Amino acid sequence: MNSLGDDCTELKKQYDACFNSWFSEHFLKGRHDDSLCAPIFKIYQDCVKRAMREQKIELREIDSEINTGEKEQQKPDHTKS
Amino acid sequence: MKIWTSEHTFNHPWETVTQAAWRKYPNPMTPSIIGTDVVERRVVDGVLHTHRLVQSKWYFPKWTNSLIGTAKTCFASERSTVDPQRKQMVLKTINLTFCRHISVDEVLYYEPHPTDSSKTLLKQEASVSVQGVPLCHYMEDMLTSTISMNAGKGRQGLEWVIGRINAEVKGIAESADDFLMKTKHSLDDMTESARKSMDEISVQAAKAAKHIHI
Repeated sequence: MNSLGDDCTELKKQYDACFNSWFSEHFLKGRHDDSLCAPIFKIYQDCVKRAMREQKIELREIDSEINTGEKEQQKPDHTKS
Repeated sequence: MKIWTSEHTFNHPWETVTQAAWRKYPNPMTPSIIGTDVVERRVVDGVLHTHRLVQSKWYFPKWTNSLIGTAKTCFASERSTVDPQRKQMVLKTINLTFCRHISVDEVLYYEPHPTDSSKTLLKQEASVSVQGVPLCHYMEDMLTSTISMNAGKGRQGLEWVIGRINAEVKGIAESADDFLMKTKHSLDDMTESARKSMDEISVQAAKAAKHIHI
């Protein structure tokens, strides 16, 4: 399974492997601390967000399409220029 | 608007099905899904919240091209929650690419079967609406039948993944060595912080190999 950004695919695979292990071995067993995969998640996220910017996919647009009723706080992206 | 619902029972416990649900793609039954990315994920009050961006390819008949454009890569937004206490996994997906004319919303619920907790019940709802396009109803019917077909394939795909996970569990003792080797190999290319987490994965993989039993 690929990532949106070709250069993120390897990071995505490593993160997914970490997540799958955490999900079955920790989360489903009632241990909710999600710091195990946090370092790799951060690197993968930076890559995906860069790819989204490059491909002009805006998360804010995505969020505005969704009526979840539970709007999460979002960093105001306007500060970036 | 057309609404389509369906139920399906998997002969596997909820824990197995939810693990498989995260690893559903790729599978040979749904080649239309070509990519997934997690854009947000966190645990809030013991519930795992995830937002994924799903890339897929939809093929519409050629005559619809002038109405809705050629199907290229489509994007969908999938928001999910997994509550291990209540044993409920809910995935809500909306399409993003052809939002202007067509909206396809889908919700999947995975819960233990009410009369047999060793099985998992999948409830699936999809709604389709087409606006501002001639032949609206025809298009809605067409999309609804596509969804119905895809849902069947999705379930087969999930069964395929479950089969693979069960096979992996059997073979995990042998494959764990291989996995550790690969993990070590990839460490060379990674930054210091990632290195730390991969070491933990190695430990977890070794532990999993010893303790896992389904």
